[in-house]
Amino acid sequence: MSLLEPLSLAWLGLLVPLVALYVLKRRRTPRPVGSTMLWALAQRDLRAERPWQRLVPHVSLLLQALALMLGALALARPAGLGHVPAGARVFAVLDTSASMAAEDDEGRRIDGARAALRALARTLPPGGELGIVEGAGEPSVIVPPSSDLVRLEAAIDRLDVRGGRAALEEAAALAGERLAGAPAGSRIVVITDAAFAGTVRLPGAVPIEVVRVGADRPPANDAILAVDARANPGEGTPDRVEIFARLERFGGEAGDVFVSAEVEGEVRASRRVTLTPGVPSSALLTADLPPDDAGQAPFVTLRIRRADDRPDALALDDVAVVPSPASRRLPIFLVGAVPESVRRVLLTDPDAELFALSAEALAERSPSEPALDGLFVLAGASPETAPTGDVLVIAPDGPLFGVELPAPVLRPRVMTWDEADPRLRFTSFAALHVASLRPLSLAAYTPLVTTDAGPAIASTSRPDGTITVVGFDPDLSDWPRQAGFVIFFRNLLEGSRGRRAAGGIAPGRIGEALRVPAPEGAEVVATAPDGSMHRSLARGGIAIVDVPALPGAIPVELAGGVRRFALRNLLDAEESDLRARAELVVDDGAGTALAAREAEEPSEAWPWLALGLLVVLALETLWATRRGATA
Amino acid sequence: MSALLSPEFLARLARLKLAVRRRFAGSAAGLRRSSRRGASAEFAEHRPYAPGDDVRRIDWNAYARLEELVLRLYVAEQDVAVHLLLDTSRSMSLGTPPKVETAKRLAAALGYVALSGSDRVSVLTFGAGLSQAFAPQRGKKQIGTLLRQLEGLCADGSGTDLASSIELFLSRRPQPGVVIVLSDFLDPAGFARPLDRLVASKFEPVLLQVLDREELAPSPGGDLVLEDVERGEQIEVTLDEAAIRAYRARLAAFFESLADWAKKRGAHYGRVSSDAELEVALLAYLRGQSTAGAPAP
Repeated sequence: MSLLEPLSLAWLGLLVPLVALYVLKRRRTPRPVGSTMLWALAQRDLRAERPWQRLVPHVSLLLQALALMLGALALARPAGLGHVPAGARVFAVLDTSASMAAEDDEGRRIDGARAALRALARTLPPGGELGIVEGAGEPSVIVPPSSDLVRLEAAIDRLDVRGGRAALEEAAALAGERLAGAPAGSRIVVITDAAFAGTVRLPGAVPIEVVRVGADRPPANDAILAVDARANPGEGTPDRVEIFARLERFGGEAGDVFVSAEVEGEVRASRRVTLTPGVPSSALLTADLPPDDAGQAPFVTLRIRRADDRPDALALDDVAVVPSPASRRLPIFLVGAVPESVRRVLLTDPDAELFALSAEALAERSPSEPALDGLFVLAGASPETAPTGDVLVIAPDGPLFGVELPAPVLRPRVMTWDEADPRLRFTSFAALHVASLRPLSLAAYTPLVTTDAGPAIASTSRPDGTITVVGFDPDLSDWPRQAGFVIFFRNLLEGSRGRRAAGGIAPGRIGEALRVPAPEGAEVVATAPDGSMHRSLARGGIAIVDVPALPGAIPVELAGGVRRFALRNLLDAEESDLRARAELVVDDGAGTALAAREAEEPSEAWPWLALGLLVVLALETLWATRRGATA
Repeated sequence: MSALLSPEFLARLARLKLAVRRRFAGSAAGLRRSSRRGASAEFAEHRPYAPGDDVRRIDWNAYARLEELVLRLYVAEQDVAVHLLLDTSRSMSLGTPPKVETAKRLAAALGYVALSGSDRVSVLTFGAGLSQAFAPQRGKKQIGTLLRQLEGLCADGSGTDLASSIELFLSRRPQPGVVIVLSDFLDPAGFARPLDRLVASKFEPVLLQVLDREELAPSPGGDLVLEDVERGEQIEVTLDEAAIRAYRARLAAFFESLADWAKKRGAHYGRVSSDAELEVALLAYLRGQSTAGAPAP
C-alpha cells in the first residue's frame, strides 16, 4: 500500500483550525452591568437574525475530525496493484524519442512519463521489482529491476529524452527477454505518446499494458524538415550563400513564422514565411558568409519563431545547423585505374577536387605523415589495410584489404537493394545488367545491392568513415547509362562531404552519441548546446561521448588544442508530427494481433468516496447550523 | 445645607408642591383636600339632617326652599402620606455617578417638597427586602433629619425583588397616599404585578426610573463578558453596532411597557439619567407632566 498523491495529506492541516475553532476561547473583557436581562433578550434577537451560531464544544468535533482525516487519506489515493501478485516484476518500456520532449497543455510529455513511472514504482506489490528499458534509438536497460524505491526514483529523475525515433518493438522484445522466467503476474508497461506512424507489434508472451502520455490534440508544431546551403558567388560577393530550408506546420491553423540564419549568435538573414498545416513550405535566405580568420567555414544555425509569439510545441525541430558551402570542397584521391564512367561522374561535381595517387605511393605513406582527409577511390587492387576516412572500392580484382573474395560470376541478376540507405536514395537497380561480378560475401559488410550470386554492392562503417565496395566494373555494365548511377555517386559524395565538414565526426540525430576518432586513451571534451560539458576517453581509436538531445553544432576539443564540430539535427517529419497515430498491437502467438490494453488508473473509487464523505460532512454541518438557529 | 441638594435648588423647590391626582384621607389637618368632610371654606355637598348633628351647620336657605332640614358639608383639608420607596439593590451602585446617588437626590427633593407642603413623608429602602429609613413625619422641621437619613443610605448589595418588597410594604398597613418608587426597575420578575398591588391598595404610584448613561446608550466595546452584579449571571457579548442596536430596541420596548402601564393606571412615569440634571424630570413630575414620552437615548 502506498500513496499516489501524498501531498493530499496536507489536508490534515485543516485539523488545526478545526480544533482551534472548538477549543480556543475568545479573550473577553469583563464588564459589570445592573442586569443582563435586556442583553440576553438582545442576544437572542441577534441570533435569530444571524446565520451563525456561537461555537460550543461538542462531541461532534471528534467525529468531524475523524471524517476529515479519512477524507484526506482518501484523497491521498492509497492504492496497490491488486491484480499484480506479490513478488511480480514490472518492466517499463519508456519512449524517449524526440516527440516526448513536446509540451502539451498537460506539460512536457517526458514529465508525464516520469510521473507514470513514479506511480508504477510506488504501487509495486510487496517484493515486486521495476526495471526500465529505453525505447528509442538502440534500446537498452537503463534501470535494472529493483524494489528499492529511493534508487528507482533517483533513476526516474535522471531520465530524459534520448532523441531519434521510437523503437518500442525492440525495447519490448528486450523487456520480454528480461522477464523470461519471472514470477507469475509480471508484465510490461509501455509508456509512449504514440506520435509516430505505423503499427508496433508487441510480444504477447507476457502481459502488456500501454500508458499513453500527451494530449489527444497537441498544439501546433512548426518544424525545420530539411536544410541546405549552397554557394552562389557573384561579382563583388564571392562569399554569397543561399540557404534553403523546408518547413512544415503540424496541426493548428495557418500562420507566419520568422526564419533566421545565424552565425555564432549573429543574425545574417531573416524572412517571414506563411505555413499552412500539412503543406510543406520552402524558404530561401541569402547571406554573405566569409570564412573566419583561421580560414574555417562557419556553421549556419537556422531558427524559426512564430510571428504571433505563441509557444511552439516542440523546440527540438525549431533549430537546425548546416555547414556553409565553403566547407564543401571535397578532395578525392583516385588510386589505380579508375573506370572512366566513375571518373566522369566525379568530375561533374563542382565541389570535388580529384587527385591521382598510385597504389604504391599510398602504401609507402608513413603513419607519421598527416592523414589524407578526403574520399579514396580504389580501383582493382586494394592495399592490406584500408586508408582512414571514406573509401570507395570499384571492381576489386584481388583480396579486399587482405580478405579473399569469391570468384567472379557472369551476368548476375539483381534481386533486392536497400532503399533506406542514404547512398541508394532515389536510385533503382531493377534494370541493372552486369557482365561480371565478384560477390561481396563478407562477414563485416552489409549488402546494399544483392544479386542472385551474392551482394553486388556492400558497405561497412568505421569510426572515421565508411567503406563502400562495388563488386563489378561499371564500364562493363549499363549502370552509367542510368540516372541512378549519377545519383548514387552524388549521394556518396554528400555523405563524405558531411562527415568531412564535421571534422571526421559523422553527423547524426539529436541525442545520438558522438563518435570521435582520437588516439588511444586521449580525452575528448564536448560542449553541448546547453553549455554542459561531457568527457570521454578514446578506446580502440574512437571516443564515444554522450550528449543531451539538443540540436546544434557541438564543439569537440581534442588533445593538442584540436577543435572539431559535430552536427546534431532532428530534421525528421516523423518526430515533428506530434499527433498520436501509432497502432500498438499485441501478437497473441497464434498470428492474431490484438490492440494493446490501456493501463487502468488504480483505485479510482477512493477519491470519489472521499468526495462523498466531505459532502456528507458539509451537509451535517449545515443541518446542525440550521437546527441551532431554530432551537 | 446638604450634599444632596444645593441651596439654589432648594429655593426653587420651595415654591413647588407635590402633584397628587387623587384625594386621600389624611391623618391630620393639612393643606390638601381630603376625601373626608371638614371645616374648610370650600362647599362639598348637602346631606339630610339627623338628630345629633350640629344645628349650626343646617342650611336654612335650603330649608326655606325645600322645607327639609339639610346640612351644609365642607371639604376637609388634610395632609397626604408620601411614601418614598428607594431602590438600594446592588444594581443601583453602578453608574457614574452611581444611580443610587441620583435616586437619593430625587428622594431628598421630593421629601423636601412634601414636608414643605405639610405632607407626611416616609422613606423605605428596598432590594430583596424592605427597611424603614425614615419613619412617617411631617413638618419642615423634619427636613434636616430626612436629608441626613438619605445621605447615610447606600446600595446594600442585595438583589432586586420588587414583588416581595411591595408585599412587605403593604403588610405594614401604611396610610394610603402617594408611593414614589425610585428604581431602575431592572427586575427579571417584572414590575407590573407588584405595582398593580399598590394600585389595588388605593395608592397612587409614581414611577421614577433612574438609569446610567452607559445603560441608556452603551458604547462599542469589543468582546465583553457582561456580569449581572445582582444575580452573578454572565453573558458573552460582542459589543458591535448590531448588538447595540438590538439592545436599544429591547430597552425602548422596556420603556414603552413602563409608560403604557403608567398611562393605563393614571400614574406618573419619569426617567432620569444618572449623570443628567434631575430638575427636568423632577419639575415635570411636580407640574404633572411626564418625561417618559421621550425616546430612549
